[in-house]
Amino acid sequence: MAPSRAFTRLAAHRRVLGVVGRQYQLQRPYYSYDHPPPPGPFNQTEHAILSAAYTHVPEHGFTQHALSLGARDAGYLDISTAVLPDGPFSLIQYHLITKRQALAPKSRAIFNALDAAPGDGAKGQTMKIDDRVERLAWERLLSNADVIHRWQQALAVMAQPSHVPASLRELALLADEIYHLSGDGAVDPSWYTKRGTVSTAYVGAELFMTNDRSPGFAQTREFLQRRLEESSKVGNALGGVAQWMEFTAVAGVNILRSKGMRI
Amino acid sequence: MRKSHQSPLHDFLVPALVTPSRRFLSTTSRNNANAASVADASAPQKPKRKPLTQEQRDFLSSALRVNQAGELAATLIYTAQTPPLVNAHPHLRPLLSHMYDQEAGHLRTFNALIAKHRVRPTALYPVWSAAATALGWGTAVLGREAAMACTEAVETEIGDHYNEQIRTLLEMFERWEAEGYEVGDDLRDLTNTLRRIRDEELEHLDHAVEHDAKQARPYWLLTGVIRAGCRGAIWASERV
Repeated sequence: MAPSRAFTRLAAHRRVLGVVGRQYQLQRPYYSYDHPPPPGPFNQTEHAILSAAYTHVPEHGFTQHALSLGARDAGYLDISTAVLPDGPFSLIQYHLITKRQALAPKSRAIFNALDAAPGDGAKGQTMKIDDRVERLAWERLLSNADVIHRWQQALAVMAQPSHVPASLRELALLADEIYHLSGDGAVDPSWYTKRGTVSTAYVGAELFMTNDRSPGFAQTREFLQRRLEESSKVGNALGGVAQWMEFTAVAGVNILRSKGMRI
Repeated sequence: MRKSHQSPLHDFLVPALVTPSRRFLSTTSRNNANAASVADASAPQKPKRKPLTQEQRDFLSSALRVNQAGELAATLIYTAQTPPLVNAHPHLRPLLSHMYDQEAGHLRTFNALIAKHRVRPTALYPVWSAAATALGWGTAVLGREAAMACTEAVETEIGDHYNEQIRTLLEMFERWEAEGYEVGDDLRDLTNTLRRIRDEELEHLDHAVEHDAKQARPYWLLTGVIRAGCRGAIWASERV
């Protein structure tokens, strides 16, 4: 059952609004390379039920029914879906988390293939960060393709007030993952604007994709490219203004110094 | 508290068999799986590494964040101090450029660590930039003694702060070793980096005192205000 258009808009609105306020709830814990990672968000039982239920999503949507079918497939009783207190939202989280985690091997495959491709050699290395970001966001959007006809329903669930923080957190983690995989190492305030920008563009494109009937979601990709291009234009303009102001201030001080002022 | 510092013997005894490959960015689990199987095959008694708890991860990320903010402020303080100070006292140029170069190196170290470990940089970055520039320029205009008193106050706070972080890390290592786990190379490197940087910061403190920091008038007010400001900035940067 598709939710009303207004509700979907509300969902998008909430997600976009949240991008501004999201830094307050951002937790970026230290990422260790040589200590084992902490346990994942789902335990073994939950994982078994969710992965089985996920195969029923294209047919039955992100619903309690899909969860029950999944539990049965995994060899549990129907009632065992009670281990997932959030019900269908757990299924959505499972989708978000597994697709985010699948991005890392995918990005290696893509950029390594570009490196190996004949032609102007090591293309993946020379690819600009912005292009890599666009490519990764697009790959992540493509991984929604199997469930895209159920995605409006999922957005509505994510927009429920009790689920909004977790949904935004997942969006923030996705943006961070995309920038991390793109090889961007900037750790100045642009860290925030970059992640905010890609989150907004991603959410917009995701919503656009739910209504996109073009083959291979070509229009969604154009939409995504336009959004990212717009924000990089705005970013460049603001950066230019800031640089000009800094230059003028420094030049002013230096003129005063050359006049003999002791500053 | 069995021992206050790590014996070099331990570093020597733990062979570098399990140096994880850094080739791919996010293959932590796979690397560890490989590392575990290598360890099982060659030395079954070899201690394994323990996952970091949420508390430890929070400590490490806030530590890296606040260190980056601190080094950023330090480079900007020296940048702003240099022109007025060198204009009035040209003989200070080599000292200032030496201290600046060291601080810039520290900032590069922490920038790289923050990017590598995916820690969020402080949200108050622009605030610290403006405050540090104003502080550096202001004290330099007040004169040589005030500028040196500023260096002294800042480096005192920073030295204490690094010491505290090193102590926490060493306590963490000690607890792991008591339980029979081993400590990752990244964390050992981090501790050594912190030790080196702390020593360099304390060198700056000595230079400042040698150059008449104590003659600043009113010394107590200047250092008191700056030290309180540093503590406030550290407190805030650890959180946001």
